Amino acid sequence: MIFAGVDIGSTTTKAVILDRDAGSEGEAVRGSALRLSGNLPDRTAKRVYLDVLEKAGLGADDVAAVATTGYGRRLVDFGDLVLTEIKACAAGVRFAPPPGEAVHTIIDVGGQDTKVIALSDEGDIEDFSMNDKCAAGTGRFLEMLAAKLELSYEEFVAAALKSKTMIQMNATCAVFAESEVVGLLARNVKVPDIAAAAHNAIAGRIASMTRRVGQRGAFCFVGGGARNAALVRAVTESLNKPVHVAENAQFVVALGAALGAQRRYEHLKEKEIP
Amino acid sequence: MTDDRVAPEAGQFDQRYRVDPHRVDDPGARKRSRFVAQQQRELQAEFAPRPANIAFFEDLLENPPTGDAPRVGYFCSMIPVELVHALGARAVRLGCGNPALVQPGEEVLSGEICPLAKASFAAFLDEESLANSCDLLVVPTSCDAKRKLGEVLADYKPTFMLNLPPEQDARRYGRFSAGEISRLAGFLTGHLGKRLSTRRLLEAIDLGRERSAFVRRLQALRAEKPAALSVRDFFVVIQSSFTGADLAPWLAEAKKVLDEVERFEVSRRRLRPRLVLTGAPILWPNFKPLNLIEESGADVVADTLCSGAQSCFDPVVIDERGRKALMRALAQRYVFASPCPCFISQATRLSRVLDLVGELGADGVVSYGLRLCQLFDMEAYRLSRIMRARRIPFLNLRTDYSLEDTEQLRVRLEAFLETVGEMP
Repeated sequence: MIFAGVDIGSTTTKAVILDRDAGSEGEAVRGSALRLSGNLPDRTAKRVYLDVLEKAGLGADDVAAVATTGYGRRLVDFGDLVLTEIKACAAGVRFAPPPGEAVHTIIDVGGQDTKVIALSDEGDIEDFSMNDKCAAGTGRFLEMLAAKLELSYEEFVAAALKSKTMIQMNATCAVFAESEVVGLLARNVKVPDIAAAAHNAIAGRIASMTRRVGQRGAFCFVGGGARNAALVRAVTESLNKPVHVAENAQFVVALGAALGAQRRYEHLKEKEIP
Repeated sequence: MTDDRVAPEAGQFDQRYRVDPHRVDDPGARKRSRFVAQQQRELQAEFAPRPANIAFFEDLLENPPTGDAPRVGYFCSMIPVELVHALGARAVRLGCGNPALVQPGEEVLSGEICPLAKASFAAFLDEESLANSCDLLVVPTSCDAKRKLGEVLADYKPTFMLNLPPEQDARRYGRFSAGEISRLAGFLTGHLGKRLSTRRLLEAIDLGRERSAFVRRLQALRAEKPAALSVRDFFVVIQSSFTGADLAPWLAEAKKVLDEVERFEVSRRRLRPRLVLTGAPILWPNFKPLNLIEESGADVVADTLCSGAQSCFDPVVIDERGRKALMRALAQRYVFASPCPCFISQATRLSRVLDLVGELGADGVVSYGLRLCQLFDMEAYRLSRIMRARRIPFLNLRTDYSLEDTEQLRVRLEAFLETVGEMP
């Protein structure tokens, strides 16, 4: 059976095809696709879905069920099930857990939201915490500051990794942070140190969110933010604990959505509900 | 002491430091605030089922009754409105839920107080507002913003600050609170130029008891069959009685709603999560948290909100009919049974939430915190710990009147409901 998950995020839209007849769990993900969400997220979602079908060599009729998640979860017309990214994320991590100690805390840094999810021993969602309405503490915040420093995102991350200082920066508001950067530049603080300060500020907020939901077991980092090496380093330092970066970190939520579609499909089949 | 010192009037505010009332002519704000209310009304118009006479209550909210009777504006649900009714005046609750008035209030007063305080104050900036049509104002000391708002409003209208005790301990503060209510009676009779007759007070108490019996009955029916009436319509019905409406005709219409809900036949089993809502007041037309909860597919089967069922839940209980005993009975109802977080201990509200969850078989508790209200915010800590310890799913939503965080709140709420549904 083939299931699909589409995660329509604020910055990127991701899709995953899950093949439950594959030989092993490792081969279950048959394809994935990603595009920038842009200003027509519904159209982008459709295109990403077609992309992933093409990559997997499948047609729409081959798919048993499609679940959509992410902030655009209700915008599309081809989905069979809608679920929140929090539930999808937990399901995605549960499916492909990192080696070693069981994961009890998931950190998901997306473009617009940062979430911390606490899992019970059974892998169910026990609690979660999400940033308030401000962009501070999210991927967007780092993108804004990179632009302010006239660096590409990759250059910004590389710069942060070079710094050895611990300059304090406030990250309660993205707009204030920008004026804080102006102040730091005026004081001749070096660009790499400012970049590091921005990463540390977010890491500090993430660490406090993890404390709010209770820290135990291993940490797993997912979402676009997990691809940022400087952020991973800063979060690891803030938590003072090892943090696993999920494989295909950007696709974990889309994968979880596909699993959600499967679960619902089987549930209805079991109860013989057409 | 010098001779030029002017003794303050018998009132609570020093006349020497009065300033002219600040006014702002802001037709834009007036227009926006009407638009916001209209939008909420249109949103609710799509509900089914709705009480056939819901327009009666909506119209009261939109156009509060005018007429010859004097009007007493008041804040919070800790003011014994029976005193106002007994004196033949209209009691108009001034807590404002209109998002369009937050900014005008912020411009003049402060940005660092809650949106409710800001919006409520802003209503006074507009000379033609309902707030400004009041003859007298009564404000309890239920938070720092209200404590300081009294003196600001005293520039606009004769204002009485009702002092609340720091603790809900009737043995220590019973006499004090009854005394404060007596002083309020003195303020009202003095300004309205009327005598307070015990007979009229008892009649007013009776009407108030009828309103609470109605709310209790409707609440019980909603808990039994939430599909019969949206919590938003329930709030419209309740809050329309705070507009200065005459209670007798209001009760007659309210009973029609009760009959309809009573007759409502449940056709299918309701599978939606059943929630108890607690926290800060939700006032028309800012029903944002209620919109989100119902749109996410859950039912609010009970609340502890001072603007919801809780506002009318407790009847005034009379054992004796002497004046002092009646003041004590009012204090018991309005001060010592209040779930307000302004008191030192939060036990009253906690017990109430736990009772409701137990009695109504609720699946979870949602707490609504109003940004910049430190009292509710601080209480969320213990509330969350106690709920967790009892394995009651709990979600804290902290927000203000603006709509910018709607989608974030929706994700949190939906994810919470998903976990509620999965609890064994």
